[in-house]
Amino acid sequence: MFRFQTPDEDCTLEEEEEAPVEEEDDIDQFNDDTFGAGAIDDDWQEEHKRLTGMEGRAVGGGVAGGRATEMIGGAVDPPPASNLPPPSSLPPLHLPHAPSGLPPPGLEDGRGGGGLAESLARFILGADPAIAGLGAAQSPSHPMPGPPGSALDFSRLLSPPSLRPHLHHPPHQLPGGNSSSSGMHPSSMMSYQQQQQMLCRGSGPMGQMASPSIWENSMGFGPVSRSPGLIPHMEDSPLMSIIKEVGLPMQPHPLRGEDPRDLSERVLPPRSSSPVIGSPPVRAVPIGTPPKQPMSLNHQIHHPTAVHVRAPLQHRYPPPFPDRLSPNTLLNLANNPMCRGPFPPGIGPVLSQLQRAQMLNSQVAGFPRGLGPPPMLPGGGGFRPFFGGPPPPPHHRMPPPPLHGPPIYHTTHLHPQHRRMLTQRMQSRPMGVGLDRRSRDPYSNLMTQREKEWVAKIQMMQLQSTDPYLDDYYYQNYYEKLEKRQERERDSSKKEHTTRLITPQVAKVEHTYRPVQFAGSLGKLTVSSVNNPRKMIDAVVTSRSDDEEKREKQVWNKRRQILYTVEKMYSSLLEVQDFEKRFVHAAEEERGALLERHKTHTETLCTLLTHTEQAGRVSDEQCVTIMSVRKGKRLISRLLPFLPAQQAAAVVMAIARNLPALAKKDKQDQVLCWLVEPVAVVIQSLSSAALTDLLQEIQGREGNLASVLQNKLGVTLLYLVLSEGDRMQSSDPNCQLMDDNRWTELVFSVARELLAAPSSTLAPPLFTPPNLLGLFARYVDRQSLEQLQEKLQISTLTS
Amino acid sequence: MNYVPGTASLIDDIDKKHLVLLRDGRTLIGFLRSIDQFANLVFHQTVERIHVGKKFGDIPRGIFIVRGENVVLLGEMDMDKPCDAVLQQVSIEEILEEQRLQQQAKQETEKVKMQVLKDRGLSIPKADNLDEY
Repeated sequence: MFRFQTPDEDCTLEEEEEAPVEEEDDIDQFNDDTFGAGAIDDDWQEEHKRLTGMEGRAVGGGVAGGRATEMIGGAVDPPPASNLPPPSSLPPLHLPHAPSGLPPPGLEDGRGGGGLAESLARFILGADPAIAGLGAAQSPSHPMPGPPGSALDFSRLLSPPSLRPHLHHPPHQLPGGNSSSSGMHPSSMMSYQQQQQMLCRGSGPMGQMASPSIWENSMGFGPVSRSPGLIPHMEDSPLMSIIKEVGLPMQPHPLRGEDPRDLSERVLPPRSSSPVIGSPPVRAVPIGTPPKQPMSLNHQIHHPTAVHVRAPLQHRYPPPFPDRLSPNTLLNLANNPMCRGPFPPGIGPVLSQLQRAQMLNSQVAGFPRGLGPPPMLPGGGGFRPFFGGPPPPPHHRMPPPPLHGPPIYHTTHLHPQHRRMLTQRMQSRPMGVGLDRRSRDPYSNLMTQREKEWVAKIQMMQLQSTDPYLDDYYYQNYYEKLEKRQERERDSSKKEHTTRLITPQVAKVEHTYRPVQFAGSLGKLTVSSVNNPRKMIDAVVTSRSDDEEKREKQVWNKRRQILYTVEKMYSSLLEVQDFEKRFVHAAEEERGALLERHKTHTETLCTLLTHTEQAGRVSDEQCVTIMSVRKGKRLISRLLPFLPAQQAAAVVMAIARNLPALAKKDKQDQVLCWLVEPVAVVIQSLSSAALTDLLQEIQGREGNLASVLQNKLGVTLLYLVLSEGDRMQSSDPNCQLMDDNRWTELVFSVARELLAAPSSTLAPPLFTPPNLLGLFARYVDRQSLEQLQEKLQISTLTS
Repeated sequence: MNYVPGTASLIDDIDKKHLVLLRDGRTLIGFLRSIDQFANLVFHQTVERIHVGKKFGDIPRGIFIVRGENVVLLGEMDMDKPCDAVLQQVSIEEILEEQRLQQQAKQETEKVKMQVLKDRGLSIPKADNLDEY
């Protein structure tokens, strides 16, 4: 935009006037780059004049100029409609006016930019014979109203308001002008009008846009906003390519020939500061837009960012075109009436087919850029600088997108077969057709290559998977089947082995937490959290000495063994116990089998019970060991009834023999009493000799009886035995109990022990057989009997 | 298949003429100019095509940006195939009028149906197409 120049800066203007001169060389260089070496500065004007035969004609186009600008749009302020003097006369016209006070500030630069303005004016007028004609017709009728030097206002976007009224005049004058000048250039007039109409109507190639939009040219006509020769940022955009081909229509070449003072000073400073105080900072790139320069896969490696040739004083010049200039506006610029040359009406849009193809093909990598200036440019010699230039050298261009060639080779996740199919498909596809169509489309490639890659990259990222079988099961399976099928068909005739499919897999990283450690620090950090629990206790393994361990182990092993034996016996015992029930229910045939089983079980029990380490020697060690465990005792008590008589007697003997030991062990458990009942049964079945033996066993060695007596079981056992003996004696006269004195002696000793043992130590038996007293009465005198009686009664009383 | 081989991508559909059916029932035809990862679409020179019976009418709409979630289907239009073989293009006013008549007729029948059902003590709740929840 323009920058207002205050009258104070008048002096500075002159300085700045010189400044651009230095840039002239650069500008020229840019110009050459843009338009090619064939661009010759002054040619076009002479050519144009020659072609249109307007040499020498007074070009005054106040009205026409006004009309032109009116059509161009409200953004552009109309030139001083009536004040466009003929170019040749412009300089002399200016000078007298310049010193007169120019109230509008803008006029200052108008003076300074006189060269630009006049060249522009010449350009406009020269371009359009109609305007020129009209201007010529009108100029006499319109002396310069308004502030002098207002011819330059055309070049200003912001004109003083006093000029506005002029707007209204031109339209009315034009028809008149038309009629008046109709005689002058009928053909060109018609052409111009036709061109105008076509412009109005010709929305076709540009798509459906409202006609007013054609004229909306917010880009401005700014020779001001563009410095001559400044190439816009060379981006890979169709619009930029249009610019390259078409050129910046606002750049009049005479500018260079003339005072190359450009009006960049008028440009507003770049919008670094927000225009509205308090408004949020301007976000140039709204959130969510694709990155302007997304990192393409190989782009960075293979194609480092090109250095864009820019004017050294770039900061002063805002980009003449924004990056995303729509083809609409660009074509508008190209098509505006000022540019309208002496083309025959047949030429509608400025960009010819070939040009478009040219500019669009330059987008596509690999297309030859050897297309020269479009030959079908009629009368184009004059416009060569705009259209004819060969495509700019490559260094102006962004590096061609690398992925556009065979993008298929950049993916790794395809099955090789799949890849083959795709390449075949790609080759067979008629690629030319689509491209041709697209080349004719001026709006193509609005989505830049980078953006496409960016979207593709996002889509590729979504394809990543840690477990392809989970994510893409059907793809995997399909190709596996295909592979198998092919292998079967080929039967390894082909050497080629389909390689294993490689899918992009996210590495399964082991996410073990390692606490932060600093080098050289003493110890670890003490911060602890859920993920980082601190070691609170140092559990130390205390290893005992080997001996202790062995002993402990042995003890445990033994116990385990005993328990194991007990368990085995139990299982057999249960079978035995259940035998009867089963026997009853079993059929005749099965009874035999059951009986067999029963026998086996019983035998197992016996063998287990009398497990002897050494053959021949029957030891009741097993019994005792079993008895050492509570379960074992219970077992024995249940077992006894099922044992054969001999074995049972042996067991009982064993018990009797080891009674003290058992009693000692039983102190905790107190389960020996379970044994009483079965033992009693056994005792009753004992023979006299066995009985005597049993009694003897119970007696054991000296002193043992006392301990026996302290034990409930022992006492009970004793009594049982005695009572049994007595019963035997009394019931059966043939009893052999008295045959030897053993019985009598034993009884005597028992009696003695009983008498001797204090009552307190006497354990109460479970039951006291009633006939004991009678037994003792036979052997003991009355006194002792009474004592014994007491003792015997203790049990009944205390129990 | 250019950019992301082995997958379906809209990138290859760019700058081609497409027909898109939106969830609200509209049919748009235009040049697909830009996409993004959500399949939001930018249509250029869009035309809304209204079909009523065998007639259709095009209403030029300009540039459309369609949010991806509202797309039912999207397909490229074959420029080579002769279109409008059966269909007859009419002017916008006419087609709008036809559409209005069609809507009216539908509403009439619906009304009658509801009335009949109501007389019989039945009611069928109307399914709202647009609301999914």
